[in-house]
This record gives sequence, C-alpha cells and structure tokens, in this order.
Amino acid sequence: MIRGRVIGEVWATRKAPGLTGRRMLLVGVDGQDRAMVAIDTLDAREGEAVMVSVGSGARNVLAPGPDNRALLCDAAISLIVDGEG
Amino acid sequence: MFLAKVIGSVWSSVKWPELGGMKLLLVRPYSLADLAGDAGDAPAAPTHDGVVCADVLGAGVGEDVVIAYGHAARVAVSELLPDGAKPSIPIDAAVVAIVDRWAVNRQ
Repeated sequence: MIRGRVIGEVWATRKAPGLTGRRMLLVGVDGQDRAMVAIDTLDAREGEAVMVSVGSGARNVLAPGPDNRALLCDAAISLIVDGEG
Repeated sequence: MFLAKVIGSVWSSVKWPELGGMKLLLVRPYSLADLAGDAGDAPAAPTHDGVVCADVLGAGVGEDVVIAYGHAARVAVSELLPDGAKPSIPIDAAVVAIVDRWAVNRQ
C-alpha cells in the first residue's frame, strides 16, 4: 500500500464504462514528487491522510473475491488514517 | 492511475498483430509539484518523462487524461473492443478517462 494525502479530485464524462459512478481522487504520495489518481469508496476528504492499495489489492477494495478480474481499478483508497504512533 | 497531459502520438508499422489499429499516445504525467506547486494560479506544465499508452476513447493532444496501468489498462481496452478481442494485447498502460476538470486545493 502507498501512504499519501488527498489533494483534490478529478471529473470526467468521457471514460471507460468500468469507471462509471466511481469517484476519483488525486492523492499526493508521501515523500515523493508523485501524484496518483485513486478510486474512493470511503468518502475521503481533501487533506486527509490515506493508504492507497494498488494492483489486484485495489480490486479487492471494490469487490472482494477471486471473481473481480473484470473490474477496472488499479488504485483504490483502502483506509483513512486516524493517527499513528 | 495517474493524471497526465497528452503531448503527442506514436505510430508503428512493425508491431504485435493484436495491436493492429490501436492508437498509441504519448502522455506526460503531472508530478505533485506540477499540481500543488505554488507557481501562481495556473498549474505548471507537467515535466516528468513521457509514457506511451493505448487509447480507445479518442483523446487529443493537449487534453488531460487519466491513465491506468497493468491489468486495469487491458480491462479498459477490452471493454471497448468487439467481443472476442479479449485482453491478450501486450499493453500495460491505457487512457481510461478524458478529464473535464480537476481541482487541487493549494495550501
């Protein structure tokens, strides 16, 4: 998983059918000059620290199980960080 | 996935047969500094190295797009291809959305 912070949002009308209804957030990756677009199902807000799952782990965020290979998702917010010690 | 700007296209006559007719675009990813930097009101032009990706949505030069990597890229392409043209194609990046608008809170 990748640690980052929600910095914004992306809107698109013309998109692959598999992205219909998905909310896409811009996440700045901690410690790197890199921003990623992640699908959000947790209603994360701007400025919140989050963890982003990538690859098949990201599909499991949207629909757990072995039959989710048809899902279009390579990055999804899997948790919102409350705190760390 | 990542946000990028289309900066050109790539064409080739010698290629894997499954790639026949597939449009290939050259895109440049936005870095965190490009998006959230303090370069005034307008976002900076992206500066990262380019990425070549497949496009079945019809994106044009100058448009902002969302690119997916890996299996998600093949899913996106096969969704829009005729039945039977399943994702056996050798691509690992594809345009999955043409961006209308994006917003970043600059703090």
